[in-house]
Amino acid sequence: MLESEYQEQNRFFLNMGPQHPSTHGVLLIVLEMNGEYVIDPQPVLGFIHRMHEKMGESRPCPGFMPNTARMDYVCALPYNHGYVSLIERKTGIEVPKRAEYIRVITSELNRIASHLLWLGAYLLDLGAFTPILYGFDDREHILDILESVTGSRLTYCYYRFGGVYKDIDEKFVEATRAFIKRLRKRYVIYEKLVTKNIIFIKRTENIGIVSPDMALRYGMTGPNLRGSGIAYDIRKNEPYSVYPEFDFEIPVGKQGDCLDRYMVRVREIEQSLRIIEQALDRLPEGPVRSKVPKNIKLSPGDCNFAVEAARGELSYYLVGDGTSTPYRLKVRVPSYSNLSCLPELGRGILLPDLVSILGSFDLVIPEMDR
Amino acid sequence: MDKTIKDFKKFFIDQGFEAIETDYDQRGYHLEIVLNESQVRKFAKTAYEHGFYLVFVAGFHVRPEPENDTGNSGLKVVYQFARYDRKYRIKARASVPKSLKIPTISDIYQGADWHERETRDLYGIIFSGHPNLKPLLLSELDADFHPLLKEEEKLKSLNEVSWPSESQENTE
Repeated sequence: MLESEYQEQNRFFLNMGPQHPSTHGVLLIVLEMNGEYVIDPQPVLGFIHRMHEKMGESRPCPGFMPNTARMDYVCALPYNHGYVSLIERKTGIEVPKRAEYIRVITSELNRIASHLLWLGAYLLDLGAFTPILYGFDDREHILDILESVTGSRLTYCYYRFGGVYKDIDEKFVEATRAFIKRLRKRYVIYEKLVTKNIIFIKRTENIGIVSPDMALRYGMTGPNLRGSGIAYDIRKNEPYSVYPEFDFEIPVGKQGDCLDRYMVRVREIEQSLRIIEQALDRLPEGPVRSKVPKNIKLSPGDCNFAVEAARGELSYYLVGDGTSTPYRLKVRVPSYSNLSCLPELGRGILLPDLVSILGSFDLVIPEMDR
Repeated sequence: MDKTIKDFKKFFIDQGFEAIETDYDQRGYHLEIVLNESQVRKFAKTAYEHGFYLVFVAGFHVRPEPENDTGNSGLKVVYQFARYDRKYRIKARASVPKSLKIPTISDIYQGADWHERETRDLYGIIFSGHPNLKPLLLSELDADFHPLLKEEEKLKSLNEVSWPSESQENTE
C-alpha cells in the first residue's frame, strides 16, 4: 500500500459534542482527524441560541435585566453590572457610593466562584477527579453568601438602575470576611493538589500557545489574553464603578500556554479577594438606591459600556430612540471571540491537547450562543 | 505609537475617513468614524496596524433615505475597535448598499469571521470575500430568516436614533 493511500485511510471526521463532557454545554466541534491528530477543528454554535438581542429590543429596558444573568450563568453579576451601568450612562442616573461598593464586592465574589468552578471542571477534563470537589466546596460558601443578599444562587438579578435591590447587613460582611480567611488557607491545598502536580503540568505546559498577535487578530480578552502576557483588564484600562479606588494587580502569563492561563486565573482569585477586603474595610454608609423615574426614557443616540466579566470583555452597545425600549441592543460576549481562534490554534495538534485547550479557554456556551 | 485621541482623529481624517470626536462619559467611546463601503477594508487595515483589536461587528437597521439615489438599503454595519494598552475605543459605521454586499474584514481580523457570519444570520448582510459565510447561530434551515430586521412600522430614520449634534451635522 502506498503511503498516501495509508494516510487517506487514516482520515476521518469526529464529532466532539454537543454532549461531550469536556465541552461544558452544548457545543459541537467537528474535527477532521488524521489518526490521533486534529487537522481542522470547526466549532458549530447555536444549539442554545435564544436571541437575547431581539428580546432586549422588544420590551422596555428594565425587562431585560433577568436576561443578563442567563447568558453567562456562571458569572452573572458582571453581566448585571454592565447592563445597569449602560442604562445609567445613557440616562445619567446617579448611583449612591454604597451601592457601587456592594456591586464591586458581589461581582468579585461571583468572579471567584466562576474561577473555582472552572478550576474544578478543567481538571476534570484533564482526568483529575478530586479538585472539583474542593472547588465546589469553596464555591458553595460564596453561593450561600450571595444567596443571602440576592435571593438566588446562580441567575442573579440583583442590581437595579440607580443601585442594588437590597442592602447588605452585618451578617453578610462577617460571612464574607470568614470566607476570605478560609480561601487563603486553601491555597496550600490547591497548590499541592494541582499546581505542582507533574501530570497536570505535562498536560498544560507548552500546549495551545496563543501569541500576542494572534490574540489581537481574534480580539481575545480576559484571562485568556492575559495568559499571553498582555495586561489588559477593563477594570484598570477603562475603569468603571469604583474600581479605581482599590489597589490590585493584573496577573499576566509569559508565553500564553494552557498553564499560563491556569496560573493567571488562580492568581486573579487572590486579587479579587484583595478588592473585596478593601471594599469591606471602606464600605461607606448611606442609601443603596437612588430615585429613578418610573418610566425610563432612552434618549436618541448610541452608547457603549464595557465591563470585565470573568472571561473577558463584555460590551453592551445600545441605540436609543426616545422611548423606553432600546432600538438596538448588541451584546458582545468574551467567549465568542476567545473561541473563534480554535480553528487556527487547534490545527495539527493531538486530540487530548485539544481537550486541554478547550478547557483552558473557560467557555460558557450559553454566553456564546446568546 | 503614543498618539492621543486628537492625534488619531487628525490621522484618520488625513487618511480620508470622516472622524468625529465624542464625549466618552456620555457614549462610552472616543471616536466615531463614518465609512462608505469602499473604505471599510482600508480602515480595518489602518486600525490593525495601529494596534487596535476588533471588539465586535454588528448590524443595525434604519429607514433608508428616500432621496438617496446611490441605493441605500438602510442597513448599517457597526464596527468597534479598542486598544489593549490604552483607553481608546472607536466606533466605525458603514452603510450597506442595496445589493446588501459589503467587503469582509475577516482576512485582516480573523476574529471578524464569526461576527460577520452572525451579522449575516441576523440581518442578511452579505460580506463579500468571506471564506465561509454559513449560518452560525441560526439553523441552516433558516438561512433566509433574519430576525433582527425591523418591521416597516417600527423603522426609524437615522436622525431619530442619533445624538442631536450628530444629526445637525448630517443635515448640514
